[in-house]
Amino acid sequence: MAQKETNFHQTSQFDQLLLESVAPLQNAITYLKREGKAVFDHYIANASAAKENDKLVKEVSELKNQIFKYEELQEENKRLKKLLQFGNTIPAAKRVLAQIVAWDASSDFNVIRINKGTADGILLESPVTVAEGLVGYIFRASKHYADVLTILDANNRVDGIVQRTRSHGIVEGFINNRCLMKYVTRTEPVILNDMVITSGLGHIYPRGLVVGKVTKIERESFGITQYIEITPQVDFGRIEEVMVLIGPAENAQRQSEWDQLDKQNGGEP
Amino acid sequence: MKLKWREIIPSFLITLAVLVVLEVLTTTIGLKNFRPPFNILIVLYLSFCLENPFIALLILVTQYVHYLFSASPWAFSTFTGVLVCMAITYLRDLMQLSSAFLTIILVQIFQILWFVIESIFLYFSTNNWYFIADKFYRFIPESLFLSITAPFLFMLLEKIWKFKERNILGEDI
Repeated sequence: MAQKETNFHQTSQFDQLLLESVAPLQNAITYLKREGKAVFDHYIANASAAKENDKLVKEVSELKNQIFKYEELQEENKRLKKLLQFGNTIPAAKRVLAQIVAWDASSDFNVIRINKGTADGILLESPVTVAEGLVGYIFRASKHYADVLTILDANNRVDGIVQRTRSHGIVEGFINNRCLMKYVTRTEPVILNDMVITSGLGHIYPRGLVVGKVTKIERESFGITQYIEITPQVDFGRIEEVMVLIGPAENAQRQSEWDQLDKQNGGEP
Repeated sequence: MKLKWREIIPSFLITLAVLVVLEVLTTTIGLKNFRPPFNILIVLYLSFCLENPFIALLILVTQYVHYLFSASPWAFSTFTGVLVCMAITYLRDLMQLSSAFLTIILVQIFQILWFVIESIFLYFSTNNWYFIADKFYRFIPESLFLSITAPFLFMLLEKIWKFKERNILGEDI
């Protein structure tokens, strides 16, 4: 006869009463333990997630800053390439790139300060340009900084010609970010949007630099000259870098011309 | 307020430092067509408050410091400053900077005088009224800004020069 080998225990009523009393307590403690463990786990998990979130937000912010810097560098690179390509078209000139650091303290003057000076090879009366056109010339320089008198200033005069008609005149700064071209005879057939360029006379500005476009012409029935307003090609509100052209050959020639004039006037050179 | 030289120099050096800070801020942060000339405000304060035979020298030094930041000729602006200072000296007894409103009004009046003198010289050099008109359009907002900030700047300068303290102490009124 086969024997079942099982193990069981028949419970009595007392056993059942005890079981029925103790088991719910066990159930409650297990429930509390389970719930406590869940809260503990969730707190730790949330704290880690919050810290990780903060870290990721900071990282994203830093990456965004880097992207912004790279974009700025990219734009600066494009501007400088354009400036260098333009500078290569001007023969026999040493080119010094500079950044604008400040404007004149008085709004009566249109002068900009750049962060290059005589230590970088800058000479007084060196022309300053950007890719779009003429900016001005160096009128004051120290060892590491220089001031540029722009063509917007009334004290700056540029010997210019109208590209199409080759009409000659003097361009000087006027108001409202415009220039005035003076001493153009009224018979010259200048029209609106004619381009004005430097003539090369006066040995400050090389020939062929763009000054601006003719935007207003007035011819009166009397007089020998006409009133011409020019809008400079350069947007002076937006320029950040400029190129200074240094031509030692031109300076030497200019100095010898001044010496000759002094000799003629009876003074010492 | 009469002061001796040894009392003037330290305060004046600090005033020049304040001017340098203001000029640096104006030339770098300021708008291209809005650059209030704080050197005028400092010259006006010295003219209102200081009685010293060498005040013209102080005005010259102030304008020379301004010249480091500007292309404006320091000799010409010194001459203008001295003329305005002379006008203030003659009218000193009629004026009192006793309230902010009076300060604003007086500063505006003498800025107008400064503008008139500069415009006369500008016309002599350019012979063109358009430059004067353009200068006037820029003068209006700049001068109003300076007049409104004058009480605050004068308060700062008062802390540097301590004119009222010296008056209270009864020294050299």
